[in-house]
Order: sequence, then C-alpha cells, then structure tokens
Amino acid sequence: MSGYTEGILILLCINAIAAMGVSLLTGFTGIFSLGHAAYMALGAYTTAILTVQHGVHWLPAILLGGVVAVAVAYFIGVPTLKLMGDYYAIASIGLGEAIRLILENWQSVTRGARGYPGIDPYTTLPVALAFFVVLAVFMFNIINSRFGRACKACRDDYIASSLLGFHTARIRVLSLMISAFYCGVSGALLGGFLSFIQPVMFDMLKSTELTAVVVFGGLGSMSGSLLGTAVITLVTELFRPISQYRMLIYGAVLVVIMVLRPEGIMGNREFVSWVKAPFRRRA
Amino acid sequence: MATLIQQVINGLSLGSVYALIAVGYSLVYSILLFSNFAHGGFLVIGGYICYGTLRTFGTGIWMSGALALAGAGLAAVLTERLAYRPIRERTNVTLYLLIASMGMSIVIENIFVIVAGGRFRALPPVIPTAPVNLMGLATTSAFDLLSLVSAVVFLGALQLFLSKTRWGLAIRAAAYDLRTAGLMGVNVNLLISIVFFVAGALAAVGGIFLSVRYTLYPQLGAITIKAFVAAVIGGLGSLPGAVVGSLILGLAEMLTAGFISSQMRDLVVFSMLVITLLVKPTGLFGKSVSEKV
Amino acid sequence: MKRNMLIGLAVLVVIAGYFMMQQKPAPEAPKETPKQEAPAPKPAEAPKAEEKPAEAPKPAEAPKAEEKPADAPKPAEAPKPEEKPAEPAKTEEPKADAAPVKVGYLAALTGDWAAYGQTEEKTARLAVEQINAKGGVLGRPIELVVYDFRTRAEDAVNAVRRMIEEDKVVAIIGANGSGINIATAPVVNRLGVSQVGTVSTNPLVTVDEKGAVRPYSFRICFTDPYQGKLIAFFAAKELKKMNAAILYDVGNDYSQGLREFFMKSYGEYGGKVVADLGFRGGQDVDFRAQLTEIRDKAADVLVLPNMGKEMALIMKQARELGLNEIVFVGGDGYGEFMWEIAGEAMEGSYWINHVAPEDPAMQPFFAQYKERWNDECKEFVNGVLGYDSVYWVADAIARAGSDDPKAIRDALEATKDLKLHHATITMDPATHNPVDKDGVVLIAKGGKGQFFTKIKP
Repeated sequence: MSGYTEGILILLCINAIAAMGVSLLTGFTGIFSLGHAAYMALGAYTTAILTVQHGVHWLPAILLGGVVAVAVAYFIGVPTLKLMGDYYAIASIGLGEAIRLILENWQSVTRGARGYPGIDPYTTLPVALAFFVVLAVFMFNIINSRFGRACKACRDDYIASSLLGFHTARIRVLSLMISAFYCGVSGALLGGFLSFIQPVMFDMLKSTELTAVVVFGGLGSMSGSLLGTAVITLVTELFRPISQYRMLIYGAVLVVIMVLRPEGIMGNREFVSWVKAPFRRRA
Repeated sequence: MATLIQQVINGLSLGSVYALIAVGYSLVYSILLFSNFAHGGFLVIGGYICYGTLRTFGTGIWMSGALALAGAGLAAVLTERLAYRPIRERTNVTLYLLIASMGMSIVIENIFVIVAGGRFRALPPVIPTAPVNLMGLATTSAFDLLSLVSAVVFLGALQLFLSKTRWGLAIRAAAYDLRTAGLMGVNVNLLISIVFFVAGALAAVGGIFLSVRYTLYPQLGAITIKAFVAAVIGGLGSLPGAVVGSLILGLAEMLTAGFISSQMRDLVVFSMLVITLLVKPTGLFGKSVSEKV
Repeated sequence: MKRNMLIGLAVLVVIAGYFMMQQKPAPEAPKETPKQEAPAPKPAEAPKAEEKPAEAPKPAEAPKAEEKPADAPKPAEAPKPEEKPAEPAKTEEPKADAAPVKVGYLAALTGDWAAYGQTEEKTARLAVEQINAKGGVLGRPIELVVYDFRTRAEDAVNAVRRMIEEDKVVAIIGANGSGINIATAPVVNRLGVSQVGTVSTNPLVTVDEKGAVRPYSFRICFTDPYQGKLIAFFAAKELKKMNAAILYDVGNDYSQGLREFFMKSYGEYGGKVVADLGFRGGQDVDFRAQLTEIRDKAADVLVLPNMGKEMALIMKQARELGLNEIVFVGGDGYGEFMWEIAGEAMEGSYWINHVAPEDPAMQPFFAQYKERWNDECKEFVNGVLGYDSVYWVADAIARAGSDDPKAIRDALEATKDLKLHHATITMDPATHNPVDKDGVVLIAKGGKGQFFTKIKP
C-alpha cells in the first residue's frame, strides 16, 4: 500500500473516531454540538505534553488525553446541558472557541499559536486501525445497550422519558462525556499523525465539519456516520486536482444531500438492517 | 476619563455594525427558528456587488448601494428557495436547515474565492472617513458616526415596516406562530421570502460598511459570528434584543481590550455568550420557548 | 425505491459536478504546458524574450560557473555513494527524455490565505512557462503539480503524500505558512523529497525542536528570529525610537514568533516595549481599543508583525484616532493592496522586507506577470518568493544533473551564491536557511513602497 493511501486511511480512522463520538451525542441523544473540536484539542495537547515533556508512553498518554477531555466535558456539561436544542448548540460554539482561545493564550504550557512541535509519530496505520476497531466495537455495544436505548428515548421525547423514570440529565451528561472521550482520543491520534499541533487546527470549521459529517451520514445511524466520514474524506481527496473548486463542491454536496435527503445517507437505520430489508417479508 | 469616553464611542460604533447583521439573523430566527449561518454570505455578496458596480460602472454610492441591497436580498431569497424550502417542506427538524446553511456559506465563500480571487479589496473612498473631534473629549471618524446613523435609519425603517404595514403584521404573527399564521390565510412562502429579502438587504448594508471600514474579501462573512453572539445575548428572535445585544457586545469588546487585556477580548465575548445562556437562555429580550409536550 | 433514486441522483450530481469542474479549468490547463498552444501565447511572450536576457539567464548560467565550487564541499558532507544507486534508478525509467519533470506546489487556494496562495500559483506558473520556453531543465519541461490544502495541516499532509507518491514529484515548493511546513516536514523527510518554504519563517520549519537540521526542508525567506532582530535593530538604531508598542495577532504563529524575537532583541538594543497588545486575526477588524491604550502609553513607534489586511486597518484606525506622530514599522506583510485600505495613513511607514518592489532587477518580473495574468502582482512578497523558489529548484535540478530527489536535495543544500531575481542565495547546511540575507527596508511614500535602505545587524 502506498503511503498516500495509508495517510488517507489513518486520517479516515481518526475522523471516524471523532465522528462516532459526535454521532452518539447528536444522532442518538439529540444534542447538537458545534464545539467538539475543542475536545480534540484537549486530547491532542494533553497527549503531546505528556509524551514530549514527561516522557510518558504514547498509549497511556492517548487514553489520558481522552480522560482529560472527559473531565472537562463533565464540568462543562453539568451546567450547560440544561440548555435544550439550539441553545446548547450555540453555547457549544462559545465553549469550543473559549477552550481554543485559552490554548492560544496559555503560552507557557501550550506554546500558543506557534504550535506544539516534536510529537512522536506514534499514529501508524495499525495503531489508528486498532483504536478505531476497539472504539467502534465499544460504540456499537453502547448504542445497543440499555444506555443507548435510554439516549434514544431522551432524544425522541425528553419529557416522556423522564416521566418513565430515566435520569435524563445524567444520561445527557454521560453521553457528552463519552463523545468527549472519543474526540479526545481522535485528537491525540491526530497529534501523533502530524507530529505537530496548533490551536488553529481545532477551530470552529473543524467542529462544524464533525457535525456535518454526522448529519450527512444520517442522524441516529452509527454506520451512517462512518459512511458519511468516508464519503466526505474521499470527496475532498478525489477532487484534490481541481484545488480551487474543491471546497465549493464540498459545500454543495452538503446542501444537495440536505435538500434531497435531509435524513442523511442512511436515515436512522444501521447498515445491517438496510441490507436485511429486502429479505424481510412485507406485512 | 477621555480614554473611557473614547472606548465607549469605539464600542458603540462597532456595535452598530454588529446590529445591522444581528437583526437579520434574529429576523430569520424569529420565523424559522434556525440559525442561518449563510447570513455572512449575504453580507459578502452585498459587499462585492457594491465593489463591482463602483469599480466597473462607476455608479455613485447610492446607486451601487441600492444594487447591493437588492442583489443581496435576492440572493437571500434564492438561497431560501433552493436550499431551505425543500427541507422546510419535508421536515420540521431545524438541524437540517442549519447544516444546509453551513453548506451554503461554504458555497458562497468559495464562489467568490474562485470568481473574484481571495485578494483583499477596498472600496473606493465613497464614504468620508476623516477624523472628527467630539467636543474635545474624543476623536472618532466621520465614518463611525455615519455608520451609527445609518444603522439607526435602517433599523428604524425596519421597525416601521414591521409595525405599520400589513406584511409587517403578518411577519409578527408568523414570528409568534408560523403554522397558525398560515392557517389564518397568510401566504407563508411569500412571507418567508420577504423576510429573507429584508435580512439579506440589511446584511448588505452591514457588508458595505464593513468593507469600507475594513476590507472586502471572501471570508469577511466570518465576522458574523460576533453578530450571532450579539443576537443570542439580546435574545434570539427579538429585534430590539439584537440591537441592544450588539451594542453591549461592542462595548464589552472595546472595554476589555482597552482596560483588561486585548488578548482576552474574544474570551470575554464567548464567556458572555455562555454565561447569558446559562443564566437566561432566552437572552435579554427573547421570547420564552416552552417545550411543547 | 424512492430513496435509492435519490441517492442515485445525488451521486449523479456529484459526478456531473466533477466533470463540469474539470472542464472549467481545462482552458487553463494548457498554461501548464505552453508548448502545445504555443502559437497563441508565444507572440505575446516574444517581446518578453528580448527583455529576458537581462535577467533570466542569470539563474541558468550563473550556477554553471559556481557548479564546481559548489560541488567541492558536497562530497565532504553529503554521502556521495548514495547518489550512485540513484543513477540506475533514474535509467530505469528511460522514457524520461520528453517526459516532464514534475515539481509540486502546495498553494493556499482557498481559505484565509487564498489571496497569497493564488498569487503564488500564478507566479510559479509564470516561472515554469519561462523556464520551459528556454528548454526546461535536463532537456525536459517542468510540470507544476498544484494542490490546495484549505489552510489545514492534515489536508496538506495528504496533499504532500499524493504529490510524492502518486505524482512522483521531484521537489515540492510551498507552503506559505510555517505551521503547514512543520506538519509536512516529517513526511517529506521520511519520503526523501525536498520541500522549499516560500514565506515559512518559523525556525522549526527547517530545524527540528532538538536543533538538528531537517535534511529535506528548506526555505527561501529569512527566519522569525532574524527578522525580529532586523525590526528591533531598525527601530532602535536607525530610527532611534526607544519606546515601542507592539500589536500582534494572538492566533497567528508568524505574528507571535516575530513579536517574541523582536521583544528579545529590542531589549538588547536598549529599547523599552511600553505596550504589548494582541488581537485575533480574521475576526477582529477593529483595533481602536488597543490603539487608544497605545496612545495613552505614549509609544513613539508601533511595531506590526502581522499580515497585510490587519496592519492596513490598524494604521488607518490609528490615524483616525489622532495618533499622528507614531511611526509604524512592519515586517514582510507589506502588500500594495494596503494602500487601498489605509490610504494616506500608510505614508511614512517602514517595512522590513525580503523584497523591494521597485528593485530594478524585479521590474521585468512585474511586467511579465502583468502581461501573463492581466493583473498587478500586489501580494508581491509571496509572488516573488514563489517565483524565485521555482527558479531555485529548477537550478538545483540542473545542477543535480538528474531528477533524483536525493541529488536535488544535495544540490539545494550546496546552493552557493546563486543569483536569483530578488537576492543572491547561499544555503547554510546546518540550518537550511539562506545565509545573511539583507533585510530590505521599504518606506511607504507617494502611494507605493519605495526602497529605503538595506540593513544587516
């Protein structure tokens, strides 16, 4: 396999991990976030500082990166997740930008906008793939678990599900924490892939890209999110030779999909059920 | 003391430009209940139309300005027809509209990157920018006063339109409840088109002022994120809220940068956003949205 | 059923869009290979050919004279033996002769840096056309492979890999941002293809954080520490202004770096930074709060280590606020377009730059650019450095005598007294920075940037 394909695959794994996290939050719990790149940044910076300055091995460092993202998500989530619908989305823009601004200004630790160099290139294809597979298996188990169904209940009818005895507030915070973990790990892997991180890599554009991919793939479909990631990544690579028009096409694809098929590529169904569908007997 | 007055004037004039943009945001939000991220694109369209007509046809600022307003308004209507209406008719999930609007903002930005190039352009000096001394207390540019005045004029005109005309009444009704307004015989599609036209035209006014004061480039629309924050602080969907929120934001930015730390300026902006949402999610003047059970 | 049709439709739209877009650049495509459509542009270029001898032959012949002295140090430090296995590798693909030599160009064609990236692309294409019109290098034409990276490092990494592995480029020029170059450096160094940064001034672009040179990373511009020192030297020693205010872009690595090194050197020259203020590029367009503070602190020189748009706005707003005495000193962010924004506020400002636009040696370039693209080259720093980077790489390929990336790297590193259009370049093998490049000080006067002096602290 050429390094080019390898590079794309690694990036695909990294993006897919983040997309899975956002998918759980947006697609399954119905919380719309526009600031998840900040959790990637937290993961990336934690891992970078741990490995470079403290000589920690990259594997625990990556996991710790995820944990830091989870911790921050908890402290942010408890007060802000009271907000419903668009209001949380707006708050998340503010939170995401605020975290990035802190990274830019806290120069003694993060080295500011000039970026953090010299990260070990620990993200090889096997590593990225292993993280992806483990996290994907874990995620598919989550969404089919009791917790996953509780998330969907919260999404479909917040009030009814709380009346049914679900601890809705806790479910929402937990969902945010899991998604923050996925994004943190994804960011940590990105840092290892580029061996250099800058706060500007985790700006609002990145956040919206994450959410766009999830909506694009289909809200409430984990395999849809993965498919969405693949399609968007491939579209940007495929159109690379026509450099200038690439972003135009990217934007147009988003609009066209929303117009023609607002429920996304997969709707709210998983790939398995989609394959099985033709064989099912119609009532 | 002089410094304080100076910073306050700076803040008000910045806030007035935010207000023009924020009002458009809020207007669309009040009807369709979604944040139109393509709003920055309308601003850029207005700026480029003004630039293009001034440069190529040598029309005066009034003519170019009018063309820019109309052009941006039409672009907004077109955007709504092409991208939002099909979604709106099919589903009531505003999330899809949000993603489509993000897509549209990318499309608009990159159309200008391709057609006009990424270069920074400055409008010819059609609006005076000479320094003006205010009673020996502070210095500001004529342009700031002018932008403040235009913001007041346009927002006043909007207020008149909304309170005195039949369509204004319909818009207010629709902002209260779009479906019921439709049932009462309001032509909802036409109404939404009008709202988008007005929002686009206001964005174009903001765009012209921004490109005179600053510069014109395809990414100019990014500044609307500040106006968006202002709209939220004032209360999404509320027009007076958008104006007040914009002024507050402009003042907060200038005072932070002037007296605390310029590096902290944006941090304050976004903290204000989050704190507003936590303390009073509906903002200063927002209508309270009760969850429908 | 309906769903499948919709998916099909979406796919069709995407495919149709792809072909439409591919057809649109098609009329541009011949630009890359001007040979085919020679009749059309040639007459236009013909007069150029007459003026060209004035400057174009320089890179072509000058290196020949230097080839021997340049080669001499090479065996000393470069592992020569490795070049031999490279030779057969080249003969493995003997279809070569007419096949173009591919050079990658990483250009920011979309996003915030589009203005600069688009100019770089145009000047690079111009340089390639000129070189090809003279017979190319190694008897083969140069083909430029241009990829955008939408100002994102992860995208740039993929672009670089694609250039190297799919397009088989022999060298890469770009990008115009240090962060991008630092992120792509591990890739180009692992895969062994040289990358020349155009305006990537962060020291880490060519030297890793442990201080070891990155073998395949080069730059044509000078570095932040050097430029910061130049600015400090100019402000303190030439202007004799000892109370500086600095207003920099917190979110921009270039700006932050320049500020850091300026402050350090300025202190060494005995100056005092009375106000150290920041802003956020892109979103902040209003600087009056900071400027009001600068006014109160009575600074006599305002240092602006930023990119063009913000600086123009700062100067304009400073004058509007009545800061009439303060002297502006900027870095290489100067651009002619700033006059349109700042107007008279520009008058009397100084710019420590790489290039002087009215340098007589550069005039043919500006004329040719205008003729080729029907446009003024306003972002001339990027334009000139991109243009000369192409000439530099072409010269290195010629000196290497083969299209082997390793040999080209050695030739780039051994560059000595190479006369390019904007400067004469000698590489420092220990840092891959050009040695002792003069800082060109421009003074903004009468509606354009004029040559003021050259400084070397």
